[in-house]
Formats: sequence, C-alpha cells, structure tokens
Amino acid sequence: MINLHSLLSLAFGEPPPPAAESTPPPADISALEPLLFALTELGIFVIIIAICMCLFRVLRGPHLADRVLAGDTVAFQVVALVILLTIRLSSTTYIDAALVVAIIGFASTLAFAQYIGNLPRPVRKQ
Amino acid sequence: MNSETLTDLIAIISITIGLFFMAVGAVGVIRMPDAYNRLHAVSKCSTLGIMGLAIGAMFHVGSLAVISKAILTIVFALVATPVGSHMLAKATHLNRMKPWEKTLSDELEIDEEKAAQQTNEKESTPLPARDRPFLSRA
Repeated sequence: MINLHSLLSLAFGEPPPPAAESTPPPADISALEPLLFALTELGIFVIIIAICMCLFRVLRGPHLADRVLAGDTVAFQVVALVILLTIRLSSTTYIDAALVVAIIGFASTLAFAQYIGNLPRPVRKQ
Repeated sequence: MNSETLTDLIAIISITIGLFFMAVGAVGVIRMPDAYNRLHAVSKCSTLGIMGLAIGAMFHVGSLAVISKAILTIVFALVATPVGSHMLAKATHLNRMKPWEKTLSDELEIDEEKAAQQTNEKESTPLPARDRPFLSRA
C-alpha cells in the first residue's frame, strides 16, 4: 500500500513530522492509532473510486441535472478527502479547506439550478 | 484502556460509517435510473458521510479549532444539501425532464396540468406561476 508520508515527502520535499506537536506523552499513546491510520488510507482509496464513479456520471449524464448533481457529489467527496487528511496528519490547518470547498460546492449547485430553471422550457406534449 | 484509545475507537466507528455512506452514495449515482432518484440517493448519503467523517476528526484530533470547524461543516452540510438538491429537482422539473417510466405518480405535473386547463377556461387570469421566470417566483 502506498504510504501517504512518502507521497507527501515527494510532493513537498520535507515530510511534515507526523503529529509532532500533538503527540501525547508515551503514557497516553492509544493502542488503536495504527488501525485508525490504516482505515484512513483505505478511505482515501474508497473515496478516489467514488470520485471516479461520479466522473463517469458527469461524462454520461443524459440530462444536465445529472452532471450537476454528480459535480456536487464530487465537491462533497473532496471535503471528505480533506477531513481524512486532517485525521491522518492530526493537523488543525486542513479543515478550513473542507469548509471552504463545501461552501463553494453549494454555491455552484445553486448557480447551476438557477441556470437550468431559466432555460427555455420544452413544449408540453398533449 | 486509556482515554486516547476510547476516542480512537469512537473515531474508527464513525469514520467507518461515514465511508460506508460515501461509497453507497457513489453507487447510487451510478445505479439509479433517473435524475430525481439520483438526487434522492446522493443528498442523504453525502450528508451522512460528511457527518461521520467530521465526527471522527473531532474525536481523533480533539483540539478546539478542529471541533468548532467540524461542527460548522456538519451544520453547513445539514443545511445546504437539502436546499441545493430541492432547488435542483425543482429546476429539473421546470425544465420538464421526463421521470423514469416506472415512476408511480408525479403530482406536481398533475397540478400544473390542472392549472393550465383552468387558465385555458378563464382567459382573464394572469400567467400561471410556471410560465414566469424562475427567479421571480414568490
């Protein structure tokens, strides 16, 4: 399995010390932390597969609304990725990005909904 | 079992629930037959998935900044997702997208047909609400 720290060290040069500041003293180390980190790395793969499924729907939606709702779902899955990164690194900085991405995804959904609602309507078949 | 282990246990359970709901929502995007059914699947699943992951982050990290922003994210997802999906479904119905052929009833369509028949009978009534632009509706 790809180690997240090796990827981060490739991307940013210096790997950030994993939870260097928030590491509790050795008496308080939890026994379940390796399981939690393995679960977050599994969750990254699950959400990447889910994003690929939503991108399939973006490419092949029969209606414009299908593409819009798939894009909205991709925005929420990016929020989930950012929250998983927060858990994995035990950092306090990344969760701001989750809030910002959620707000922007909501605004884009509302804009596309108004666009679809203002399109010329097809004639009703009697 | 110390307190760190207990909070990590709660975090593991809630992250598992959140990942399950995110995966089910993505499967619903693929498998559902209709845009309305897809909205139905996606809005609930992404809300519950974000909620589970944010509760996991709250319990694992545990600092005040993460807890407050995670609660903000949960409240925002709970408020924004139903509003956005309802607005998208209303706009899609305004655009007269045909529902799936096995859909049991479309009551908004029936009401619109009744309103159209009434306006055909009475010519002096103003435009029905469905012919006004989308933004100017009350």
